[in-house]
Amino acid sequence: MPKRGWPIAAHLAALVAMALAAAYIVNIAAVVMLPPRPSDVMRGDKVLDAFVEAYAVAKAGRTPRSEGARWSIADQRPRTDRMPRPGKLLTRDLARRLDLDPGRVVVAFDPTPSDVVVFRVRREEMRVAREAERNAEDARRSAERPRGEDRRVEEIVIEDRRRDRADAPPRPPEPPEPPLFAPPPPGVVLMSGFLVAAELPDGRWLTMRQQSTAETIDWIARAALGIGATLAILLLLALLFARRLAAPIQRFADSARRVGVDPGEAPVREEGPRELRTAARAVNAMQARLRALVAERTEMLAAVAHDLRTPLMRMRLVAENADPALRDKLVKEAAEIDALVSSFIAFARDDPTREARVRLDLAALVQSLVDDRAEAAQPVTYEGPDRLVITGQALGLKRLVDNLVDNALKYGAVARVRVRQDGEYAVIEVADEGPGVPPAEREKVFRPFVRGETAGAQAAGAGLGLSAAREIARAHGGDVEIGDAQPRGALITVRLPV
Amino acid sequence: MPDAPPSPTSPAPPPGAPRVLIVDDDADIRSGLADVFTRAGFNAVAAGDAAAMDRVLEADGADLVVLDLMMPGEDGLSAARRLAARGWPPVIMLSALGDDADRIVGLEVGADDYLAKPCNPRELVARARAVLRRARDTDSKRGPAEAVRFAGFRFDFARRELLDPDGVLVTLSTGEFRLLRAFIERPQRVLSRDQLLDLAFSNDNEVFDRAVDVQVSRLRKKLERADIGELIRTVRGEGYMFTAKPQPG
Repeated sequence: MPKRGWPIAAHLAALVAMALAAAYIVNIAAVVMLPPRPSDVMRGDKVLDAFVEAYAVAKAGRTPRSEGARWSIADQRPRTDRMPRPGKLLTRDLARRLDLDPGRVVVAFDPTPSDVVVFRVRREEMRVAREAERNAEDARRSAERPRGEDRRVEEIVIEDRRRDRADAPPRPPEPPEPPLFAPPPPGVVLMSGFLVAAELPDGRWLTMRQQSTAETIDWIARAALGIGATLAILLLLALLFARRLAAPIQRFADSARRVGVDPGEAPVREEGPRELRTAARAVNAMQARLRALVAERTEMLAAVAHDLRTPLMRMRLVAENADPALRDKLVKEAAEIDALVSSFIAFARDDPTREARVRLDLAALVQSLVDDRAEAAQPVTYEGPDRLVITGQALGLKRLVDNLVDNALKYGAVARVRVRQDGEYAVIEVADEGPGVPPAEREKVFRPFVRGETAGAQAAGAGLGLSAAREIARAHGGDVEIGDAQPRGALITVRLPV
Repeated sequence: MPDAPPSPTSPAPPPGAPRVLIVDDDADIRSGLADVFTRAGFNAVAAGDAAAMDRVLEADGADLVVLDLMMPGEDGLSAARRLAARGWPPVIMLSALGDDADRIVGLEVGADDYLAKPCNPRELVARARAVLRRARDTDSKRGPAEAVRFAGFRFDFARRELLDPDGVLVTLSTGEFRLLRAFIERPQRVLSRDQLLDLAFSNDNEVFDRAVDVQVSRLRKKLERADIGELIRTVRGEGYMFTAKPQPG
């Protein structure tokens, strides 16, 4: 039995899938296990502004909402043990703005040194600021414009202006546009991971926390989705690719096997990867040689059979005219030579793998052979079921049983044939009443041209019956063995898978 | 090759004797077989190859051809195929290749019987008689590889194969095969034991009525299926009848 293994397609697919999975698992592990991304840095004054606004909303009895922060109203003062440090300055500031005792206000945060982290100015903010500036400038200009419609006056004014400009000391340069990234304005505290809380008039506490965890979770979920989808698509691709690669190999193996069984089969298709094409060509060349060999052998065997049997037939015809004593002797000799020729030819031409396998009734097969023998007045008996269906080669099995019965009659005078089912196996037993086969010789007699050397057996035959029988049984996935019959004789057991 | 005349020592064939044509490339076998057939009461003629066979058949015809398989020129298989296509005369193949597989090939090209060399000459004569009887009795042209269906079974004459309704191959003994063939060729007719003996037991061994009953009961067992009625019915005091109606196929 060949070792069972995964097909190449599965190997490749598994390899790709595992490689991808490993890569992504490392990535996910990195994301999950490494410290989370620090929170966004915000300006302390803006945070307090937002809180003061929300405090008013909360006092009105509603829960405030805003982007980027989590709001809650609780009975307890929020715990700040794990916050790095309360901001004293901001606490006092907030207490003042809310008109509360500083003890009823909490401001805690991660301070961010302003010289390390730059403050990000949003484009939109900048646009608004610049527009406001331009509007202010326009307003100033229109205020300077003369009210009259006199062009001359206007020109004079313009002249004046020009003169003014020329005379006046140069105006201070326009303030530069705020850069995209800039340090915070002086006096502003930068903070991240903050918590701001204040006691409401009813004794409950309004708390504002910077929202960061949710963002992180969202980010992980998105990443996981991306990874999963990628993995699925890649796996699909890997499978398709692997199948594409493996299919011609599978076809090659199939047709190579068919060619091995029957050289007359259609040649292997030369397709697929280059190595495979080379292999297919080699197999096809081999097949052509095999076919020629088989044809040659068949022809040779037919010629041998013809050349040997034609004189035997002549002898048989001559015997018809001879006197009875001589006739019987001649007929017997002819029969013996013919038996030899038959066994040689059968052994030489037989290819147990070639005959088609069909569903057949083994009981009927054995029974009909035994009936034929019994009708020819041979001491052969049958015992067994009326029906036992197996898959096998009808002619091959007939030859197997015939050989065993011949053997039994030759060495043991009678043949008692029994058929039974033993689990997964159909069993044919042929018992005789001869001297049996000593254990030491039991394997030897299966070799071609070895005959039992038992005393008293003037055996005709070439010693091919048992080896042919075993070959046929093994081609069926079974075997033939020799044991002892009761009370005496040899018991040959054939096991064939059902 | 010239036609070998029957041996001068043999007695003249009785008038109306069946005419058997022996085709073999070996002169000794030709004359020896002609001798055997003549003594058995046939009118025997011989030919050395397929071309000579054609000449004899065209000139005088024959009731039966005994054909060697391996001959120079056209081989026996192809000659048998031509004769089977004509439907007449019936053919017995005589061949040095005696395997079951060879026999099947011979029967499939349309030979009526197949014997391996060396054979018992008397068995050959007995088979010849049986073939002639069958040919006369059915009087039908038989193409190659004939098979029939009945009651879900399929019966292939050449392969001697019986496939049961489940598609399982049921092997028949020689006696069972001949008996079933006799029944199938004469369906829905009562056949007496004597008739069956005549049709299905063509060997030299002495056979008794009892043997017919044994064969019939064996064959019945092989044809027995729960959902099919009795295919071989006993007609008391008369014999047996095959109840199904075989269809070609």
